[in-house]
Amino acid sequence: MNVSRLLFVDDEEGFLELYRAAFGRDGYAVETAATIEGARERVAQGGIDLVVLDIRLGEASGLALLRELKARDSRLPVVLATAYARYQDDFSSWLADAYIVKSSDLNELKQAVRRCLGTAR
Amino acid sequence: MSSSRGGPGPRERALRSERTRHLRERGPALRTIRPRRVLDLLRRVSEVLETVVDPEVAAWSVLLAYTAGEGLGFNRAFLLLADGDHLRGWFGVGPRTRDEARQVWAEMRMHGVLPLDRLAQPDTRVVETEQRRHAATLASLSHAVERGCGAWRRAFIGRSSHPNPCVRHWVTALESRELVVVPLMASGRPWGVVLADNFVTHAPVYHATLEAAETLAHYLRAALERTQLLRRVQEEKRKRLTAEHATAILETARALAHDLKNPLALAGGVARELMAAAPENRDTLLRQLGIAAAAISRAEQRVGELVDGLASRADGIVPEPVEVGGLVDRVVGAFRPLAGSRGVRMLCYHPARPLMAGAVVRSLERCLENLVVNALEALRESGGEVHAAVHEDGDWVRIEVADNGQPLPPALRTDPFAGGITTRRGGSGLGLASVRTLAEAMGARVEYDEREPGWVRFTLFLRRWS
Repeated sequence: MNVSRLLFVDDEEGFLELYRAAFGRDGYAVETAATIEGARERVAQGGIDLVVLDIRLGEASGLALLRELKARDSRLPVVLATAYARYQDDFSSWLADAYIVKSSDLNELKQAVRRCLGTAR
Repeated sequence: MSSSRGGPGPRERALRSERTRHLRERGPALRTIRPRRVLDLLRRVSEVLETVVDPEVAAWSVLLAYTAGEGLGFNRAFLLLADGDHLRGWFGVGPRTRDEARQVWAEMRMHGVLPLDRLAQPDTRVVETEQRRHAATLASLSHAVERGCGAWRRAFIGRSSHPNPCVRHWVTALESRELVVVPLMASGRPWGVVLADNFVTHAPVYHATLEAAETLAHYLRAALERTQLLRRVQEEKRKRLTAEHATAILETARALAHDLKNPLALAGGVARELMAAAPENRDTLLRQLGIAAAAISRAEQRVGELVDGLASRADGIVPEPVEVGGLVDRVVGAFRPLAGSRGVRMLCYHPARPLMAGAVVRSLERCLENLVVNALEALRESGGEVHAAVHEDGDWVRIEVADNGQPLPPALRTDPFAGGITTRRGGSGLGLASVRTLAEAMGARVEYDEREPGWVRFTLFLRRWS
């Protein structure tokens, strides 16, 4: 059975560590990137099945990376995970396959990841 | 000028003819009101209108001048304004019925009330009440602008037989025998109309009264145009401010989501993860607990900043990043000549690299000036040293001003910032009190200590700007 490879993009190292532990325990191969450049590079290398992307990445916008990723490969599922619910009003965010408001309960994010992987490719 | 012999000359005949036409169209000039009284009235009203900012108050002021006994003396008056193809009733002054008129006038006579005295200080509640009181009548006066209205030029008296349907409508609606109609025209169309009558007293309308009514109506139009423009400008300004506030609130919500919700979600997520699968490795456990603790600490700090920020905004003071070392250097430097003349040595220490704190420059300068003056006062007799120092202290930037002069008198030691106690330190006794007020308004605080023997130290704690 192939292990799905997830790329988490967040400027908060704590979240990346949390994702590594929680999703690793669920059997995913977890990779992380703290910057847009790092994420772009990793996706370009190939093998990523799904990207979980924060929107506010320091001064950079995750929405710009979302557009870029979808332009490159529209089938790559991208889940937006952000603290601010109103980004959903930004039509750029509609490109994403799922939009999750960050919470201490990761179940919603996990369900979104499963759902997106189930329908992808 | 009449001819001395024979009949009137052509010029005299023309003047008589004009007077006859005027009387026929504008009513009898049985006697005139005194020109001086009219001039006084016009002066009073124009003075009031110069300062009025509300259109309603402008309308009330002029219509009050129409209806006051010491004004033009009409029983009631109404203002109609053009709104598209209609003239709509907008404001009214005076009694609504004959019974009400008799009652109100009797009360005014009994109490010696002169309505024009109220012009000087218009009460907006009275103005609003008056507008509401006449709402039904004003609604009944509204009428479509008819073709004949475009020919109006001057004030006239309308009766039930008047050829213009608007005038007939108003005469009927007001059950008026003689209705003064003062048109205010713009580009051949009515801009507005003032209506007035003596529906209770049936007193005749004098020619001079009509003239004065016309002049007042033009004053009113100018005032309304000015105040309506002012109101539009204010409305635009309000809308712009609302939009700016909305943008600021959205930005704040985004920042809070990122800076506050993120760490809380992270701390909670780590805690849940630890509950779900506690790591066997102690180092891993400690690292994860460290992540949660750091996230909570960050949220705590952000909440503190938010609370301080809100408190200072309530005072109208918004802290901004201030380079503290340079500011302290500058303030202390300004006192060096004075200190030198008193034999006081002033030392200033601050880190070489810029140290930023949230403050208001003017307020912080004033705080420091007060503290330095307080120290110099303590050294007035003896001479000595004043030390000013800037230190980093975790989330705070500490500014100390210490002197080795006289200690604080016992009365001040309990709370030197309470104010009102006059000693040589602090002069009026309010200097230190204002330091605390200014500091707290900036989200800072000030403390006093004499921990170091022989030294009195005041310390300002400013929030570090990150």
